[in-house]
Amino acid sequence: MSNYFEDLAHSVIAGQQDRVKQLTQQALDAGTDPVEIINQGLISGMNVVGARFKVGQMFVPEVLMSARAMNGGMELVKPLLVGQELPSAGKVVLGTVKGDLHDIGKNLVGMMLESAGFTVVNLGVDAGPQKFLQAIKEHKPGVIGMSALLTTTMLSMKDTIEVLKEEGLRNKVKVIVGGAPISQDFADEIGADGFAPDAASATDLCKKLLA
Amino acid sequence: MPAKSNYVANATPLFSILSPAQCEEIFLAAEEVLERTGVTVHDEEARDILKKAGCWLDGIRVRIPSAVVNQALNSVPKRVTLCNSRTGSRDVLLEGNNAYFGTGSDTPFTIDPYTGRRRRSTKQSVGWACKVIDALPNLDFVMSLGIVQDVPLLISDRHQFEAQVLNTSKPIVTTAHDIYGFADIIEMCEIIAGGEEELRRNPFMTLYAEPISPLQHAWEAASKLVLAARKGLPVVYTPCVMAGGTVPATMAGVLTNGLAESLSGLVINQATREGSPFIMGGVFTIMDMSSTIFSYGSPEFNLLMSALADMAHYLKLPMFGTAGCSDACVVDEQAGIEAALSIAMTALSGPNLNHDVGYIEYGSTSSLEYLTINNDVIGMARRLVRGIKVNDETLALDLIDKVGPGGHFLAEDHTMKYFKTETYYPELINRQRYDAWKENGSKTLFQRANEKVKDIIENYQPEPLPQDVQKRIRAIVERAEQKVH
Ligand code: B1M
Repeated sequence: MSNYFEDLAHSVIAGQQDRVKQLTQQALDAGTDPVEIINQGLISGMNVVGARFKVGQMFVPEVLMSARAMNGGMELVKPLLVGQELPSAGKVVLGTVKGDLHDIGKNLVGMMLESAGFTVVNLGVDAGPQKFLQAIKEHKPGVIGMSALLTTTMLSMKDTIEVLKEEGLRNKVKVIVGGAPISQDFADEIGADGFAPDAASATDLCKKLLA
Repeated sequence: MPAKSNYVANATPLFSILSPAQCEEIFLAAEEVLERTGVTVHDEEARDILKKAGCWLDGIRVRIPSAVVNQALNSVPKRVTLCNSRTGSRDVLLEGNNAYFGTGSDTPFTIDPYTGRRRRSTKQSVGWACKVIDALPNLDFVMSLGIVQDVPLLISDRHQFEAQVLNTSKPIVTTAHDIYGFADIIEMCEIIAGGEEELRRNPFMTLYAEPISPLQHAWEAASKLVLAARKGLPVVYTPCVMAGGTVPATMAGVLTNGLAESLSGLVINQATREGSPFIMGGVFTIMDMSSTIFSYGSPEFNLLMSALADMAHYLKLPMFGTAGCSDACVVDEQAGIEAALSIAMTALSGPNLNHDVGYIEYGSTSSLEYLTINNDVIGMARRLVRGIKVNDETLALDLIDKVGPGGHFLAEDHTMKYFKTETYYPELINRQRYDAWKENGSKTLFQRANEKVKDIIENYQPEPLPQDVQKRIRAIVERAEQKVH
């Protein structure tokens, strides 16, 4: 079976969705444990993709193709996971803060997190403290991530953190921040748990915080 | 004199990326995008205006018939003039292939010329930048080169404008947080110009707004387009698109999508008031698919800039271009290479109002040394564009015969007459011989630029505004400050 898993992982890395679906179906037909398929084939392929992206050996569209291929396999496995949870690296609520319309960077962070096995709830742009608060109550994420590209809107990050404190939720969730004007100093100043300068490091940061 | 017929001369170098047929193809494709896909407009007033102009509305989605685009292209002025704020002198003629250069605006960070460290930009750093721009002869207009962060942030745009207009008399392209910020800035400008109509006749500023790719006009942007038209003031509308990210990865797809955004902005502006001055922008570039930056130095960025200039000339629209900027995180060899390429290509293709000179770190940081070095690069590029004049006087056959084999031209009247106009002398670029350079401290270009920057900051005096005008501007800043408290 080990060769088979290797083949599956390679197809994920190569972003070949049809091939991934075909191999997954074959394995299922042969009675392979769905969790094994996910962990040893699909996710292990994606882990290589993440590592290669980080060192500049793979590009964003290639990573997203790999993620798409992985999801093609996941869709087939999911219905068979009776009673078992779909393995997830954790749940992250993401949003661009109030007054800010820059969203492509935040979306990239979301896509990279998903590629690494996180479940992402994307609140879109213009997300104020109340929107984050509601999302925390509804989705119970391990991490909330706020993105701001404007010096005028980065202040809203602090407001959100304050609201979480008032609601007694601050200790229940990790808070990370990022975007062009954000720095580690700023993150410390407002009491966030972490700052990431780009999408790849945001993924690492979430892994670290939820470990 | 013989009769010389069928003689064709290049008064300047010829340079183009797109042929007229290709321009037409891209323009028609953009019109098709507007009819078929349309744009979203997140401002009710702008949607009403578009509806009255003949556009098709479906909620916030607006599709624009080609005839409406053509009408806007007919009504928009083919030229915009920007003036000196102190004298009213009409210095910057945005028309045809005239290329002017200026800085970029709101970088969160700047390199401190005294410590060499990257720090957050402040009211002082913006003031310094404007002084330096004012003093450099090849810079024609000003954008702030930093976002002011040491004042209440919600109204920092008023402080930023004050810092700019006190320190330079060159025309200003100004950003603002929203239309309320713009209203205050316009009021300051009207005080300086001596009235609403005076400002309209001799504008020394232009507003600035951006759509959101792909194909969206946010409330902020649409309302600024409407405000500018109502006020009869020029507005720069500039899509910042990323190939492969917010627009297709193909260069033609980038141009089509970006142009569709500009043209729909033009329609909002012209449908509000026909004949309003409008400057088509575009920072068209790639997203680097490895680091995910919006690149300010890639070859595609230059290629797209020149291609868009061809489009602007084809459509007879004044254009806002981009040059003299870099992805390098410090002012190093990479920064120099990227500036030289972009400034040369920009000067050769002739977009009109070219900003972002002095940006490093893909638009996150500004450097006054870089700006000062680029002042020389712009001078060099302008020399390239002046081309080679060929006539009896410049061929100099009589002189060549007079000096003859083995002579020299150093002491000739002809040399005296032409050596300065035919040659460009940069200020900071080194042409010293080795020993002289060593004797002068073995300084790098960056060090020489740093000295010049500090000299300007410490010794240069920009033309002041009259005391009472300064006071009235201050009052507007203070009024805004009171409102946030
Ligand atoms: C939760 O945890 C995390 C962790 C990591 C996180 C994270 C969250 N969020 C991001 N990251 C990190 O990971 C991402 C992926 O690797 C990265 O995201 P990025 O977003 O950095 O990377 C993207 C993939 C590519 N980069 C970008 O998309 C940003 C590039 C630049 C050029 C830029 C763009 C493209 C735009 N802009 Co804007 N824009 C600039 C930018 C210059 C710069 N140096 O950043 C900046 C940010 N803009 C600025 C300005 C002034 C403005 N912009 C505006 C508008 C726009 C566009 C709409 C045209 C467009 C955004 C389109 C969109 N859909 O997002 C206006 C504001 C609109 C608003 N209310 O939000 C406007 C105010 C201009 C105006 N007056 O109209 C400047 C900031 C000024 C300030 N106040 O701080 C600016 C630095 C440019 C400049 N030098 O002037 C990392 O930062």
